[in-house]
Amino acid sequence: MTTTSDPVLDIRGLTVTFGGGPKAVRALDGVDLTLGRGEVIALLGESGSGKSVTLRSILRLHPPKRSRIEGSIKVEGVDVTTLEGRALEAFRGKTVSMVFQEPMLAMDPVYTVGQQIMEAVRNHESISAADARARALEMLTLVRIPSPERRLQAYPHEMSGGMRQRAMIALALSSKPRILLADEPTTALDATVQVQVLLLLRELQRELGLSMIFVTHDISVAVEVADRIAVMYAGRIVETGTVRDVIRRPRHPYTIGLLSTRAHGGRLEGHRLPAIPGSPPDLANLPPGCAFAPRCAIAAEACRASVPEAVDVGGGHRVRCFRTADTANRIAALAPAVTS
Amino acid sequence: MELDTATKPAPAPPPTAQEAPAHPLLEAVELVKHFPIKSGLFGRANAVVRAVDGIDFSLYAGETLGIVGESGCGKSTTARVLMNLIKPDSGNVLLNGRAPGTPELSLKDFRAQVQMVFQDSYASLNPRLTVEDSIAYGPTVHGLSSTDAVRRARRLLDRVGLDPRRFAGRYPHELSGGQRQRVNIARALALEPKVIILDEAVSALDKSVEAQVLNLLLDLKDEIGLTYIFISHDLEVVRFIANRVMVMYLGRVAEIGPTDALYTGGRHPYTNALLGSMLSMNPDERTMEAPLAGDPPNPIDPPPGCRFHTRCAMAESVCSAKMPTLTVTGAGHFAACHMVDPTSGHSKAAA
Repeated sequence: MTTTSDPVLDIRGLTVTFGGGPKAVRALDGVDLTLGRGEVIALLGESGSGKSVTLRSILRLHPPKRSRIEGSIKVEGVDVTTLEGRALEAFRGKTVSMVFQEPMLAMDPVYTVGQQIMEAVRNHESISAADARARALEMLTLVRIPSPERRLQAYPHEMSGGMRQRAMIALALSSKPRILLADEPTTALDATVQVQVLLLLRELQRELGLSMIFVTHDISVAVEVADRIAVMYAGRIVETGTVRDVIRRPRHPYTIGLLSTRAHGGRLEGHRLPAIPGSPPDLANLPPGCAFAPRCAIAAEACRASVPEAVDVGGGHRVRCFRTADTANRIAALAPAVTS
Repeated sequence: MELDTATKPAPAPPPTAQEAPAHPLLEAVELVKHFPIKSGLFGRANAVVRAVDGIDFSLYAGETLGIVGESGCGKSTTARVLMNLIKPDSGNVLLNGRAPGTPELSLKDFRAQVQMVFQDSYASLNPRLTVEDSIAYGPTVHGLSSTDAVRRARRLLDRVGLDPRRFAGRYPHELSGGQRQRVNIARALALEPKVIILDEAVSALDKSVEAQVLNLLLDLKDEIGLTYIFISHDLEVVRFIANRVMVMYLGRVAEIGPTDALYTGGRHPYTNALLGSMLSMNPDERTMEAPLAGDPPNPIDPPPGCRFHTRCAMAESVCSAKMPTLTVTGAGHFAACHMVDPTSGHSKAAA
């Protein structure tokens, strides 16, 4: 399914800075990411790690006056950072589309779901209202909304959380985009509904051959949907690899820490969770070297002096860490906790 | 936390305490809380949200009781009723067999023994008070001199892992989410309570910080001998921290039992569906089928009989006709399902 020879999305050296002067915040710092046709990548990270900023940069959703974007974002060979006016409008929704975390905020409360899908379709294609309505019905059926004919007339507030997220997905897919960006699409949903929406996204991705970037803070969600995982920390991608490599053979100390802090199974009496010490860094005040060094158990002089470049530890598994030789040994100790 | 010192009208006198193996520290007896939905010209209530609809449980000293369930199941309303932040329509909360707000146990004394930590660490702190003043506020109201209260606040800050020399004078906006939640925990401890109700207290934190706060809660429990009610939607975290777990569905208790027994052998179909929704973390064993279809129904108009029968694969006619009651299924393990009640008439009922 994955073809890395012909990436549909190629991000090189993406750096995004918000504000200016001494208070500027560098939200992204040299992000490289390629997405193959039909591939699903999960961007995994905590709040402030830059995963949503990366996603929004692809659709150019940052306010141009208050943000500076450097580097290149190529979608099917076209540099998105240079798009303006009508070309940008045509690109949004038609080539690349997005599903947001909170459909109640992303949808317009005063129009029915059907009207919103029809409007989106007619913005991109010159088709009749009747044809647009037929498309809207087709989309609601595609996302398995029961009695879709009736739901066309429903307002967002009349739907349950799960149905609203399905409608949001229908809206995002209505102009038949080739790339779908999903920003924590299941985070606001209940456990039993989250599974349903994850399975739906996975099925649609396969049926329609979509290429997808899926932003999440939840490793178990990433494991369910993704082919590859990119772990972000303080605006940089610190580890990328296939799901199996990242979950079973993590090599960055942050990824290793994240996997071991998950509460697995019952607790033995007196047992505590292994926890990463300290708190996530302040983006306006990053240390000169590796951003994770202040919290890292094996940080050395070099880690505090300069930012490590990505090294390939085998099979496209890339890690931005000076101590990969040492982390290889650490996994052995962590393996039982990770795979059990 | 603002302490409400006004005495509320006394509810019905507590029923005679039942003989239990151990005397419960905190009890919920037949709690009911409905919220009317007002609309129209005169604001008449034409519907009610049955947020909590007949809940019974006991909390024993030294344990951690986890409460799980989906949005709208009534877990937060239960916490607020227990805390006496809202009054139940009927039923009682009893602390050591005594009802708060009665001459036997004033609301002020009750609140000194039962404290709460909320999900939103920022909204639950006064933005105009330093964290030291926030923590010292409660003890001052309860009669401690301000110098003693400040001394206690500093000791508590130290205990939750915030160096008082660095943090005491800070305002909530100067702290990270994890640090603010530590302050909220310190404040909850300031009156030396017996019970702390944690309502999604770690849910807003990043995973790496969540583990630190969970460890802190475990340490405090051992050191001080606290009893927790831990409300969360995160089943992994509840399994880690709780001794007993209560599963709620649409304002009712579906199942309650020891954590291991419930996680490995849930008897209510809803418990098993909820547990089946936990993702595996194994790329070779991805979830292929959702255990339940559809969303939880609306608590405004819950289905008759067993509330879960509309989504249950095992439902029979008895399930829509009759509401199941909690039936014993093992040591300290109860489920409200017709299938575990031999007299229910369900074809799969255990004989």
